[in-house]
Amino acid sequence: MQSIPVLFKEIIGTVLVSAIIGISAQAVLPNGIHLKTDLTMIDSESGETAVPSIILDPNGNGAETGSVTLYQAYITFLEGRALFLDARDQEDYHQGHILGAISLPAHAFMDSLPMLDALSPDQIIITYCDGVDCNASIDLAADLQTMGFTRIFFFFGGWQEWQAAAYPIAKTP
Amino acid sequence: MLFLRIGLGLLFIYASLDKVWNPGLFAKAVSNYRILPVPLLHITAIILPWVELLSGLALVINRYPRAANILIGSMTLTFTLAIISAMMRGLDFNCGCFSVTSEEVNLGVQKIFENLGILAGTIILEYRLSKR
Repeated sequence: MQSIPVLFKEIIGTVLVSAIIGISAQAVLPNGIHLKTDLTMIDSESGETAVPSIILDPNGNGAETGSVTLYQAYITFLEGRALFLDARDQEDYHQGHILGAISLPAHAFMDSLPMLDALSPDQIIITYCDGVDCNASIDLAADLQTMGFTRIFFFFGGWQEWQAAAYPIAKTP
Repeated sequence: MLFLRIGLGLLFIYASLDKVWNPGLFAKAVSNYRILPVPLLHITAIILPWVELLSGLALVINRYPRAANILIGSMTLTFTLAIISAMMRGLDFNCGCFSVTSEEVNLGVQKIFENLGILAGTIILEYRLSKR
């Protein structure tokens, strides 16, 4: 029977060897990442928020989508040029959403493909979720970009900022 | 026991490959759980898949099998607790367990039972290996 100290050494050894290979591999892997978590600053009404860059651009190919502030989102809303997509659960959407927004929960993206097929690839789309604490708007924007949409933005302040500003909302009866 | 050891090993090799190849996507999957502090996201996403891969290989070739099995059991337990924690906080996303690039089953009871099955396998294997 194997002694506990020997077993412990083997476990630590396996982890150490994995760490050495893993860290070294980042230099040769096409999608390698830095050891230190890179951050990207995103504007919101409450100031700048630091978000891990891999959330915006997980493949590291620089194909990130852009963010819009509350003001930019509101101006675009007034101009009527953008389609607002609500990335939250349908239950949250029914309780209240940006006026004219369509519900497209980020986790049910694949179910919404028929609706998206009807849109022009250069349609301006603004995604949003609850607020700076959620990433669903970013995930949805990334999925839309993968589908070929070229003018995708996420409104990072989301529902909380829009509601706090008392901008037009709607509720599902 | 041979089938259990090789089966668990192959499962973890399979689970690791996509993450090893796409560490950025895996880091994003880890960030979805909102458990780890941001500075630890990348280093976790870099090392964890390789621990899975080497542990899986070790089980398959029967080299340091007990250490590999304990690591696999510990990782499975940690992943299961992370899934339960995320579900209790109302988070809903793909778990990033086996693949980070394709659509996978969202967090749910099914995922927990899958993990508990793997965990049971590691416990049985540890019991048998410790008797050798």
